[in-house]
Amino acid sequence: MPATTDNQSSFLNRISIRRNQVVAMENHDLELEDLELFQKHVADRFSHILSTTAGNITDPSSATTESPSAAQESCTPPLLSISWFRNLLDTYLCCEAEFKAVLVMGRDPTQFTKTPLDKLIPDLLDRSVKALDICNAVTHGVELVRHWQKLAQIAVTALQQTTIGEGQVRRAKKALNTLLTSMVVDEKENANSNNHGKSTERSWSFGRRGGSGNNNKDRATGNFRSLSWSVAKQWSAAKQIQAMSANLAAPRGGESTGLAMPVYIMSTVLVFVMWSLVAAIPCQERTGLATHFVVPRQLGWAQPMIGLQEKIVEEWKKKEKKGTAGLLEELQKMEKVAQSLVDFADSFQFPLEEEKAAEVAMQVEELADICRKMEEGLVPLQQQVREVFHRIVRSRAEVLDLLDQVGKLSTPVPY
Amino acid sequence: MVLQRAMAFLEEEFRSLLEDCRNNPQSNYDIFLKNSSFNYKNQDQSDQGETESGDFPAYSLEVVTKMNKIACAMISAGYETECCQVYSVSRRIAFNEQMKRLEFEKINMDDVLKMQWETLEGEISRWIKVVKTCSGSLFPGEKNLGESIFSDHPLICRSLFSNLARAVVIQLLDFAEAVSMAKRSAEKLFKFLDVYETLQDLIPAINDSCSHECEHQLTWEIAAACDRIGESAVSIFCDLENSIKSDVAKSPVPGGAVHPLTRYVMNYLKYACEYINTLEKIFEKHAKLERSLPMTSNLSSNDIEKESESPHNFETVESKTPFSIQVVTVMDLLDTNLEAKSKLYRDPSLRYIFLMNNGRYILQKVKGSTEVRQVMGDTWCRRRSTVVRQFHKNYQRETWTRILPCLSHDGLQVNGKVNKSVLKDRFKIFSTTFDEIHRTQSTWVVSDEQLQSELRVSITSVVIPAYRSFVGRFKQYLDSGKVDKYVKYQPEDIETLIEGLFDGNPTSMGRRRSS
Repeated sequence: MPATTDNQSSFLNRISIRRNQVVAMENHDLELEDLELFQKHVADRFSHILSTTAGNITDPSSATTESPSAAQESCTPPLLSISWFRNLLDTYLCCEAEFKAVLVMGRDPTQFTKTPLDKLIPDLLDRSVKALDICNAVTHGVELVRHWQKLAQIAVTALQQTTIGEGQVRRAKKALNTLLTSMVVDEKENANSNNHGKSTERSWSFGRRGGSGNNNKDRATGNFRSLSWSVAKQWSAAKQIQAMSANLAAPRGGESTGLAMPVYIMSTVLVFVMWSLVAAIPCQERTGLATHFVVPRQLGWAQPMIGLQEKIVEEWKKKEKKGTAGLLEELQKMEKVAQSLVDFADSFQFPLEEEKAAEVAMQVEELADICRKMEEGLVPLQQQVREVFHRIVRSRAEVLDLLDQVGKLSTPVPY
Repeated sequence: MVLQRAMAFLEEEFRSLLEDCRNNPQSNYDIFLKNSSFNYKNQDQSDQGETESGDFPAYSLEVVTKMNKIACAMISAGYETECCQVYSVSRRIAFNEQMKRLEFEKINMDDVLKMQWETLEGEISRWIKVVKTCSGSLFPGEKNLGESIFSDHPLICRSLFSNLARAVVIQLLDFAEAVSMAKRSAEKLFKFLDVYETLQDLIPAINDSCSHECEHQLTWEIAAACDRIGESAVSIFCDLENSIKSDVAKSPVPGGAVHPLTRYVMNYLKYACEYINTLEKIFEKHAKLERSLPMTSNLSSNDIEKESESPHNFETVESKTPFSIQVVTVMDLLDTNLEAKSKLYRDPSLRYIFLMNNGRYILQKVKGSTEVRQVMGDTWCRRRSTVVRQFHKNYQRETWTRILPCLSHDGLQVNGKVNKSVLKDRFKIFSTTFDEIHRTQSTWVVSDEQLQSELRVSITSVVIPAYRSFVGRFKQYLDSGKVDKYVKYQPEDIETLIEGLFDGNPTSMGRRRSS
């Protein structure tokens, strides 16, 4: 991770404007070409993501009958899976790098002090800061998912025996119950963001009650809740997204030929990425997410993004009523399989018939596969989110530096 | 089946052991406090038991041994995941509680940026306390606990610590990043440097305890946050240049006193240099960064530019580190600024007093701070001292030398006889000139006491002997009744009046003569 960042940063530093050296662009046409290229590249990249996104998620038949090879899957990752997100974040980083080049390279610096940029740029910076909070929430959301993965792993270890005994079934059931309750409780408590402080205490007090095995579940969930101490109280991911998409308006008429367009495009990309992350990863308070961000339909370059968004909203709506931990494809699958295995555990009778045993083995294998994907993918995903975080911070500083110099150029220092 | 039951039981035992000690947080903290002071005073009695020797968490040796046994059992039975889960979650909550006790609350980056500086400053202080506690006691304590409980499984121990550390450290770093994004202004420098130093101290606390990967990641993250803070600090410090440049006065400081800008800059430098090691580090890093940018002007070429503009400071300064160069640049700008300000005085004598005052103030400030003196070097001090002395001499020449011709013994005698009218004139001119000087200069201030007395001494030594000898030699030639009319001052009077100069209080002119 550090390696890429260094390369990218030195490339960008090479083209950044420093002190009194302002490179004036002589050829206006070249400028326009730059802007159009950026637009095209964004469209291309998202088109690529859309076209390589495999069918729908949570299609049980496809999950159990076909097991795509690892190589195949990485080329066509299912929507909102870990691999899919890794592609998305990579795309974001590429777009961002290109955007910064467009913004900074050979621009007439006084543009930044006039409309519309004098308002658009601060808006963009403000949006960036909000995105940072989302990155943080997502990073900690992924932590939570890793905990869930470990619970699922217990069940897999327990049930991956040649002959399953009652002991193993109990063990698996315990772990899976904890997992499922935690997923559901997480979302329900999220919905009650006002009572957030109280519900932490409530779950905590469950843990104090002595005794039975049932209590484990409650204590565990209370414990998980406190793990997301990591975001500020009263913070709402959904509201954050809403705030980020406020003021996001496509430039019209004459404005659409200048830098206003790339700024708009980049902002939209940013909000889209953050929005998808929030939809997929458990974050604090997400009610109403589906309606908080909509891309205007008529924009040509945005068609692939709109396509993706529509699919995501569809999935969101399906799960909204049940309350879901997050649309992350692996999580969805995990929930389904976990539930099915718990049902099996509830009705378990030793010894197991061959047919049933085979069925269970398949499900266990599926769960194992999910765990494997998570094991391989979650940490890199977290690191990528961190990389996005750092990129946003750095870019913000560079843009501010740029504006600073522009300010200095226009107000000569009296001496 | 039996195994499952046994393991479930053990899991519960483990959890309750971990939590029980935590459930009574007040006693935990008290034990912690008590043991820390106990430990401090009784260094010899270190056999009190490692876990009780003031570490957080304060589990008794007995409990730890029990937990160790449970952990071993669970792990060898293949229940490693359950065991680790219980431990992770429990420790995480315990850590959170400690944070709460230190009043650490998570603040959105958005909100941090919107804070007023006074509020933010308070938050930073709180954050510093939290991080220091983490480096100093929380992380080491956690490491010890892990090692005691998972004594046979060092890898597990490291991995568990890594997870905890990663989650906590990234949280803490986010605040530091937010701080570095705050609007930059001069007064923030010192707090920023505090943050930088606190972060640096965090590194050793995690270095030995994490897994290799985690250590690598966290060190990188901490370095990134430090870099950001460092860059902000550089920008703030270099902004001093602009503050100086933009301080353009239209009217001079009354009495030629030390200018507020001089005080501000010198005090700022003095306080900044208390962080000299950190600043040197930060500026080195910044210089390296600048050097790697082919399009920008290097720090070294900047130096050459600056040297040619104002040779005297750069010639004498010993240290050539990027930070020192910046400090000298600031000094140069201050000097130039003061020179420009001195030209606002129409009276050349006052101009020299002004330059003397400010030069002396700068010199004393530099000599008074070990670190600044280190930067500027002894040669610079000597040179500056000479410069101030030169101003002194110039002042003397401007003001007092014109009074001396009237005390010359030449031209008073014609053919061996004293010319009375010339003598009377001489006395008159002396008194008038002296009065004028005194009237003009009595409101002038020299704040440095030593300089004050040096001035008085040097003036006295020039004027008094000449006057005394003049009066002594020629008083007799005046008409006896009219002596007072012409000899307005006795030498002692002159001496007294001179002694009263540079206080800033105009002394009464009513005093005439003593006996």
